[in-house]
Amino acid sequence: MHNEPLLTVSNLTVDLLTAKSAVRPVDGVSYSVRQGECLAIVGESGSGKTVMNFAPLGLMPTGVTTVLSGSVKFDGHELIGRPEAEIRKFRGRSIGFIFQDPMSALNPVRRIGRQIAEMAELHLGMSPSAAEARALELVKLVGISDPAARLRQYPHELSGGLRQRIVIAIALAGEPKLLIADEPTTALDVTVQAQILRLLKDLQKRLDMAMVLITHDMGVVAGAADNIVVMYAARAAERGPVDKVLVSPRHPYTRGLINAIPRREDPIGSEFRGLPGVPPTLGAPFKGCAFASRCGFAVAACSASRPPLVPTPDGSVFVACPVVNQGKAAA
Amino acid sequence: MTHAPVLKVENLQTRFKSVQRGKFVHAVDDVSIELYPGEIVGLVGESGCGKSTLGRTIVGLEKASSGRVLLDGVDLSTLSGVALRNSRRALQYVFQDPYSSLNDRQTVGEAIDEALQIDGMRSRTDRERRTKELLDQVGLADAVKDRHTRELSGGQRQRVAIARSLAVNPRVLICDEPVSALDLSIRAQVMNLFLRLQKDLGVACLFIAHDLELVRQAASRVYVMYLGKIVEHGPSQELYDHPSHPYSQMLLASVPEADPIAERQRKAPLMIGEVPSPTNPPSGCRFRTRCPLVVDECKQQVPAAYKLSPGHSAACTFAVDLHRGKRTALIQPEADAA
Repeated sequence: MHNEPLLTVSNLTVDLLTAKSAVRPVDGVSYSVRQGECLAIVGESGSGKTVMNFAPLGLMPTGVTTVLSGSVKFDGHELIGRPEAEIRKFRGRSIGFIFQDPMSALNPVRRIGRQIAEMAELHLGMSPSAAEARALELVKLVGISDPAARLRQYPHELSGGLRQRIVIAIALAGEPKLLIADEPTTALDVTVQAQILRLLKDLQKRLDMAMVLITHDMGVVAGAADNIVVMYAARAAERGPVDKVLVSPRHPYTRGLINAIPRREDPIGSEFRGLPGVPPTLGAPFKGCAFASRCGFAVAACSASRPPLVPTPDGSVFVACPVVNQGKAAA
Repeated sequence: MTHAPVLKVENLQTRFKSVQRGKFVHAVDDVSIELYPGEIVGLVGESGCGKSTLGRTIVGLEKASSGRVLLDGVDLSTLSGVALRNSRRALQYVFQDPYSSLNDRQTVGEAIDEALQIDGMRSRTDRERRTKELLDQVGLADAVKDRHTRELSGGQRQRVAIARSLAVNPRVLICDEPVSALDLSIRAQVMNLFLRLQKDLGVACLFIAHDLELVRQAASRVYVMYLGKIVEHGPSQELYDHPSHPYSQMLLASVPEADPIAERQRKAPLMIGEVPSPTNPPSGCRFRTRCPLVVDECKQQVPAAYKLSPGHSAACTFAVDLHRGKRTALIQPEADAA
């Protein structure tokens, strides 16, 4: 463990402006990740979990004006307000990315070996032959059999699991300190998912990287992450160590989410547990708690003002719920 | 449950021409399944195992190369024209993605009305009454009918898609991953809708999914498919408690748990590799290339399905031992990345 976190996000707000509309997909979120640590960011679609990680690094669609406020400090450098040309130096080098769909993340008309070597040439200034050797090393590192032959293949010749391993190899090519993995196993089968997750976890430990794992699957979180941020409607609802948040969730939304996971002991044909209502669509920020309309514990105070994240007495878990924080709905 | 199955699939085979000249992809190979009225039956397997092709072949979206699909005892391949269309109406399909299965330019009312018109309901007042009834059945307010489908959320859209399938009073719904495009907090709502429809309307449902826990809770029986073949089937509880095919065992053990402490202690078996290409399936048992229990015999012959308990059978040489717990596919040591 190191004292200074590698990545510190404080009070990050992202506003997206188009000609027609203005939305705020991220509204005042804070978290930090240390070297060698894995942070899971969990939320449903539209909760802001992806935008939060990609917007500060300039990875946003064109045609949208992105306005950032707050602070994102990576390895001692403030990313917010930095010009694109400088941010580019971080992307793919000290910060590696893994995207959900390995097919669209790879160039279909270039050989695997070239795609990996290209990254080593660009970021580490290697000569083409040194980069090719590095590519072979990386392909071995991500556990691919017959690595030399794989380097000569094209992405379409590989299965989904192998492709995702290649994407991981590319992400590692620049020797990143931080790996951001956006739903890295969602597009894969459950058997392959287990393999990829184990590989990521193993690499993270061996290379002593920090990892941000964006996912919606609590099973993935439980197996891989040290800490978790639960996002709901652009804000963090709960934050803390995985061992505490998944075992005894405090925020009603986190509780509902974990409760909704089918369990082995549920009788066959029994009702599925879920949350009532639907998640809000992106729009103007809520005045009060965004979850209040779906919450069984809601009181008048919930819709009056935005609930602040309050730490538990031992200071490990932060929960943004006035009811829980007053101890009225203690589990 | 009555004794006559509403849907019976016998030795169904679906093959596609491969890009390799003269070769075929055997997407569904000699599959037999049964569905009884008012029953939810799960069909699970990895992607590319042929589970969607099986569903699509049953409703006629793909052409079977051989084998039969019987609806209420009538072989659909013997029917043609109007008779076939009428029979097929009893078989409806619910697609995975409610964003592409509905027409964005239609209102909810129009989408359902269209299905009713095709079904031959002439009177406008009848159709309006039925639309209202259908919306109510899928848990949508009547006012939704004037909204465009594009204005709805994923969960609402999937409800509309289900209402459309129900419009023609089907006997069987083939649901292809109907909740996997939906958010976690919405899934339960749509799953409960399926449970209710099964109870209230007695619709039989073939539930194709990769989420094993979801299937266990919803389905009374489960078929496990691997590379075009059913490798094991049985009552859900029995199959989940005593999986008796190495593939089922490994598939079930791959599901991560949401409990971090249990998850860290869990020695999940790493299934070796991925599903081989269905163009050149392995000889003998198709799972043998990934199976930790493989012996020479597996290469030579396709294992017979062993009956293990009422309604439970598995196609593996070691099925009996696996069922009794005398043998397991889960002893595979962790194969760490080199």
